[in-house]
Amino acid sequence: MGETLGDGIGHSTTTAQAWLAAQSCNDMSLLAFSEQVINGLIIGIFYALAALGLSLIFGVLKIVNFAHGELYMLGGFVYYVFASLLGLPPVAAVLVVCAVLFLIGMAVEHLLIDPVHRGKVERADEYTIMITFGLAILLQNLLLSVFGPWTKRPEAIFRGRIEIGELIISGDRLTAAGVGVVLIGLILYLLRYTWAGKAMRAVSQDRETASVVGVNAKLTGMLAFGLGSALAGAAGALIGPVFLVYPTMGVIPVIKAYVIVVLGGLGSVPGAILGALILAQVENLATVLIPDTTRALAYKDAYGLVLLVLVLVFRPQGLFGEKVRRS
Amino acid sequence: MIGRDVFRQVVVGAAILALFLAVPLLGLGEYWIYILTIGFYYAILASSWSLLVGYVGRISFAHVAMSGLGAYTSVVASGRFDLPLMLSIPLAGLVTGIVGLAIGRLCLRLHGAYLALTTIAFSEIVRITITAEHEVTRGSLGLAAVGLFETTERIPYYYSFLALLVTCLLIMWLVLRSRIGLFFVAIREDEDAAASLGVKVVRWKIFAFTFSSVIAGIAGSFYAHFVQLVTPSMMSIQEMGFVLSMAVVGGFQNIFYAALGGIFLEVLLETLREIGEWRMTLFAVVVILILRFAPNGLFGELMRLALARRTRT
Repeated sequence: MGETLGDGIGHSTTTAQAWLAAQSCNDMSLLAFSEQVINGLIIGIFYALAALGLSLIFGVLKIVNFAHGELYMLGGFVYYVFASLLGLPPVAAVLVVCAVLFLIGMAVEHLLIDPVHRGKVERADEYTIMITFGLAILLQNLLLSVFGPWTKRPEAIFRGRIEIGELIISGDRLTAAGVGVVLIGLILYLLRYTWAGKAMRAVSQDRETASVVGVNAKLTGMLAFGLGSALAGAAGALIGPVFLVYPTMGVIPVIKAYVIVVLGGLGSVPGAILGALILAQVENLATVLIPDTTRALAYKDAYGLVLLVLVLVFRPQGLFGEKVRRS
Repeated sequence: MIGRDVFRQVVVGAAILALFLAVPLLGLGEYWIYILTIGFYYAILASSWSLLVGYVGRISFAHVAMSGLGAYTSVVASGRFDLPLMLSIPLAGLVTGIVGLAIGRLCLRLHGAYLALTTIAFSEIVRITITAEHEVTRGSLGLAAVGLFETTERIPYYYSFLALLVTCLLIMWLVLRSRIGLFFVAIREDEDAAASLGVKVVRWKIFAFTFSSVIAGIAGSFYAHFVQLVTPSMMSIQEMGFVLSMAVVGGFQNIFYAALGGIFLEVLLETLREIGEWRMTLFAVVVILILRFAPNGLFGELMRLALARRTRT
């Protein structure tokens, strides 16, 4: 998800992958192709985890959380502290990350976002964008000051390789994706069948009316922001061992999450999941199809922008979004 | 009453300008002249960003990317194609204008946070592209640029940046004082109401975004020929955070306060050199507190207090 500048190991493995991909391009065998698709699927699950939280927060609170990438990064660092420095078992550390980020998210909503709903802020739209961006800058520099710019490689849930027939998949990715699927399933269950989930859906449809019929909109907002943050943190914790942990690790993934939620429709949960899978496959296949491999890889993070432009031109409301109110 | 307030503000502005004009004569070291010159560059960025955010109510995260795009345009045009700076700097403004127009047309038909979302993606893509195309840009090593002047003295640069800042502020002020400024504020207050009264909402939003992008591009190209090196790091998210901090701390609802915020924060950044990375952490905390509790910014609140006291006596 975040093979950007500064991660020596992550970069060299992906370069090797691209080389392999280029080789397989010459005789696009079924094996190589399915390996690509499965890799894309795994990356897509990581993307979905990050985008789902963003979508949840937008749905209930109608704000875009510009600190989402930094909550993801924070998840990576909390995981690093608990799994590598304190030696907790990795799965337990992921749960700790979820709990810590949930509390942080609730606190952020209470302190910074809720004043908007109490009418304490002029120009609410600009305020929420700037305050979450300010929070992002704060978290990035805080972690930079405390941990330094160096990359960390926390313990993975499972190392080694998994072989399915002739297919070889690295174990840390596959297990991380597996945990990710469980978490996504849990959130979908929560939203559909529990009272809290119904409250969140009610507030996302109409905050006023939900309040009238007895939903505590403030608490629901805090819950949504907490859950969204926990999902972002979980994504960071799961992906940290694969693509390393460092203070700017959230910048590129969160931009992908923005592309995904616009593609899926702002605030749509199924849209976020489908959008994530689409973006991952588009990136994957575009990298293989462009002949100059080093260049194709350098631009891997740029394909999302092409997708974003296409969506904004042809279907601004996204795949699942409601039509935006026009002036 | 309002006339007298404006008069007082003009007097304060003239006094500040006179102060900055006199600074090099007061025997300040070369180093601080250099820092103030960079401060003027940031003042241009912060004020032109405020033009969009404070008056139209739309947020762009591509402002430093536009500045970087302008810088690279001018440096490549003058370095590779031997264009004189008289042509390459306007070319930088033209390129950022065209890019701004394209992004604006794409996102500003829509309500909500689409401009912020698209510009943050755009700025990272520009940075990635410039880093990746090393045959032209030498990647993260950066590209050497010719200077504005033959001399290595700081003073000519100081005055030319001050002149550029004053020119940009004057042009923005004239635009904001015209009908266009009223359209901007109408759009900020209530887009639907403005549209119902015949304001071409989309057109003026696009105009504001393009206008502020052109100013950023020209400022960036001047900056490149001042520090004589452009690197992709001048368009990072951190830089954008810095410019946002300047506008918010100064007061983003007024271009002059934002400009002062730019100079103020750049000087503060140098003064606090000892605490290293913690400076930006500190600035970010201040930004969050100001946004939450004093949205007029430091200079906005000071001016408000000063005016309130004078009217009472």
